[in-house]
Amino acid sequence: MDDLTTLRDFGRGLEHEPPAGLVRQRSRLLDEAAGGRRRRPARWPGGRRAGWIALAAVAAITAALIVVPTVLLRGSTGAHLLTPATGDRPFKQGEALTVLLLGTDQPPLHGGNPAERSDLIILLRLSADRKRATAVSLPRDSLVRIPQCRSADGRTVAAHVDMINQAYAIGGLACAWKTVETTTGVRVDHAVAIRYDGLAKLVDALGGVEVTLPRAVDDPKSKLKLPAGRSLVDGRTAVAYARLRYVGDGSDIARIKRNMTLMQAMLKKASRLGEPAALVSFVRVAATSVTTDAGLDLDAMLTLAVDVQRAGTRVTALTVPWRPAERDPNRIEWKQPEASRLFAQLADE
Amino acid sequence: MVSLMIPLATPRQDSDLIAESRARPEAFAALFDRYAAMLYRYVSRRLGPEVAEDLVGETFLVAFGRRDRYDLTRPDARPWLFGIVSKLVSRHHRDEAARYRALTRSPLDDVAESPAERVEDGVRATAVRPLLASALARLPKGDRDVLLLIAWADLSYDEVAQALGIPVGTVRSRLNRARRKVREALGHTNPLRDEE
Repeated sequence: MDDLTTLRDFGRGLEHEPPAGLVRQRSRLLDEAAGGRRRRPARWPGGRRAGWIALAAVAAITAALIVVPTVLLRGSTGAHLLTPATGDRPFKQGEALTVLLLGTDQPPLHGGNPAERSDLIILLRLSADRKRATAVSLPRDSLVRIPQCRSADGRTVAAHVDMINQAYAIGGLACAWKTVETTTGVRVDHAVAIRYDGLAKLVDALGGVEVTLPRAVDDPKSKLKLPAGRSLVDGRTAVAYARLRYVGDGSDIARIKRNMTLMQAMLKKASRLGEPAALVSFVRVAATSVTTDAGLDLDAMLTLAVDVQRAGTRVTALTVPWRPAERDPNRIEWKQPEASRLFAQLADE
Repeated sequence: MVSLMIPLATPRQDSDLIAESRARPEAFAALFDRYAAMLYRYVSRRLGPEVAEDLVGETFLVAFGRRDRYDLTRPDARPWLFGIVSKLVSRHHRDEAARYRALTRSPLDDVAESPAERVEDGVRATAVRPLLASALARLPKGDRDVLLLIAWADLSYDEVAQALGIPVGTVRSRLNRARRKVREALGHTNPLRDEE
């Protein structure tokens, strides 16, 4: 083999996909472009909750890749779970799939501040061969037109312009689904809502993950105590690690990096769940924190999960191009034509 | 919010964007959207993902600061951006060498890497990897820049010359020297292979 070819292969093995946090570097550039006047906190996807939201992204994307298809098994009987379809099944195998993921901190319509309900909205496109996944984050404070939706108590809420995360507060998964389809023009095959507290459970279901610390941490605030070097941590510790604030440079960027590291560690571990049985039990645990649309072919969904796991899917994480909204600089709006172009590409992939 | 479905105009050249950004600074962000991911991938190979993010951000800040000096007769901004990246990477010269040396000792596993990427990884022969890594670790900075801009960034000789501000002849001689060392390290020197 040619030396340059060998070197290229070697390079590919070292390469990492751009993390979602890269968008912060874009904000940094825009701040500079604005002559430092635009001193607003970088918002991916929003203000002070960014760290927490990024953490939810970790959970959601991980779930999407390995869990989601199988998670759709939720509500099925044990019989389904005991007969995982691992053979070559025809369903969906040759088709691309789009999944809408919502990261939430509680089920819809159970009190609390509605604005805090679906903080994380991700449109995930899986290629037909399952080798590629593109996750597009739609910031929760994006102003969009929410179509007419039916609320849980049966009222009809007329179409209006509001923050995209209001859709979930109004009419749950169905309304969020409709809103995302009408505003992006991308047909969504399945919608899934994942609770943040699911992350710890996912990590535990994986039997813990490995994290590496440059130096020992003893942080009473997050109750995290870890030695320097590698440690195998359980779900609760992993969450504390990811949320850790007063370590490193204390920045959100540092936190997002830790979150991405955690995601990598989870993917790594999940990809090593050898037998389908292990995958199924992992999924079963994860399923407790997930709500999804009904009426799916359960066996086929498990097949899909196995496909994804086998294909070793590569994820690209992006945020929809945005800018501060004209009418309200505390909100954002999608930047056109870039956003439409992105969605068109996504649908074509 | 009304979503405008504006049909795409012909894609604009980098030089147009840079020219526009002189009057309208925020236009520079379009350059970021075009190339940040590509630069990130390149830097992640050389320095790992931890450093890559900040370094890419810094690259665009430097580029932004120098946009007035960009030669607008060059439509493609990649050589310019890779030139800035190369300078910034060279500040991490020791870390880079240490990274390659670490790869000579450990399986690729130890580089925090998503398992997905390994599946398609062409260099499965674990025997080759440490050899390449140690060859890269030992290359002089300038030679390594040239070699990796060609092999990993897919720049042409001319583009590398532009990026590093050196004559094309120097690009060729550095590349030949670097490739020779790589081939020696791999232990399969082929006397019949021409050195372009």
